[in-house]
Amino acid sequence: MLRWLIAHRRRLRDIAIAFVVFVAAMLFTQWWDFTVPALGRAQYQAVFLTNGQTYFGRYYDRFGAYAKIEDVYYLQQGQATDSSGTTDTRIIRRGHELHEPNSRMLIPKSAILFVEDLTDSSQIAQFMQRDAGR
Amino acid sequence: MSLYDPERDPVRIAGRWLRWGFAWIGLPLVLGIFVSANLDLRSLPLFGPERMSAVLFLDGQAYFGHLDDSGENGTLLLRDVYYFKNSEGAVTGVPVGLVRRGTEAHEPADGMRINRDRILAIERVGPGSPVAQAVQVERELTHTSPGNVSLNRTTVAGAAALRDQRVAAEHDLARSWTAAVDQLRKLNDLVLPVTKAEADQITEKAMADLRTVRRNGLAALGTEVGMSATDLDAYVRSTDPLLDGQSFATDVGVLLAPDLDAIVNRATQLYGQVGDAAAKQLTQAKATPAPSPSPRP
Repeated sequence: MLRWLIAHRRRLRDIAIAFVVFVAAMLFTQWWDFTVPALGRAQYQAVFLTNGQTYFGRYYDRFGAYAKIEDVYYLQQGQATDSSGTTDTRIIRRGHELHEPNSRMLIPKSAILFVEDLTDSSQIAQFMQRDAGR
Repeated sequence: MSLYDPERDPVRIAGRWLRWGFAWIGLPLVLGIFVSANLDLRSLPLFGPERMSAVLFLDGQAYFGHLDDSGENGTLLLRDVYYFKNSEGAVTGVPVGLVRRGTEAHEPADGMRINRDRILAIERVGPGSPVAQAVQVERELTHTSPGNVSLNRTTVAGAAALRDQRVAAEHDLARSWTAAVDQLRKLNDLVLPVTKAEADQITEKAMADLRTVRRNGLAALGTEVGMSATDLDAYVRSTDPLLDGQSFATDVGVLLAPDLDAIVNRATQLYGQVGDAAAKQLTQAKATPAPSPSPRP
């Protein structure tokens, strides 16, 4: 056995290196998630979609067909609360729907109209920041 | 004698290193990236839960299933597909019902190719979410095998989840029955064109029919969850009286597996038909014989 190991030590070394590279590449890709680095952007963004919906969260551009939003929030219009017809608008954290989605949402780039940074003074950004700290 | 030593030729040495680097570094690197891009490390077979995706369409529809997005031709492949139908006002207490794709009139085969341009978003379905639970129970009802040797193994519900869904369906049947009985009582409170005795007779008949529908609903539930004939009879006999006099009004809505939802919907439909027939009898005066015309002199 030892003799065999010594005789094939070069091949075994090569296989071990290939295995380490394979695992490292997998772990790196899982961490990286094909996101494009964006410098100097705000913490949260508003993503306006072609169907009129708007999602709020941490937006990441990615290589390939999809962009990504982490920690997604959206606005929900409620029923009119008084006779003047003013509606009650609430910001909802995505994740409590019937399919309880996780915090990562992939969006085809073709479904995005435009993306805007939220300023620090934005009430929505402040709400998301407070909610994330809970 | 030539001074050229091929073992020390820098071009040959570089070539050897390049070949080695491609075989043992480059190839594993590309393979690792490719595998990782198409695989969730938290959902490897035997290690993680099932990986189920929600595909949200631009028109508001949502489909759930096993997503294969490895193709680069602009389409996604969704397998083992479920979707929502509108169930606003249903007795389940949930505004939507789950439907298994494949039961439509055209009976499509498994595998839905979706145009990526029509997709709004893709999300991962929570493994403990109501959708995941209803799907897992449906698999149990349709005797789907778990399929352990798979990159995305299929999870099938256990006995506890099946019991929870059966109990929820029983409560839905009871709620629907209570609504139908209340409707009958309200009708009886009105001034009716029939006599009290006739009204009582019609109501009693309708109540018996409603009870038959409920018993048949329970029997269908028992059959669906795989009870034997003897167990089924005992189950219906023991469960039917337990549902009497209980409204289950404070129950939290449960998203039922499609096959159980279909039983509840069918029972609700039949309750409605029985109620309508009784209402028609109660509110229509019996036809009195028209006076026969007297012959003119």
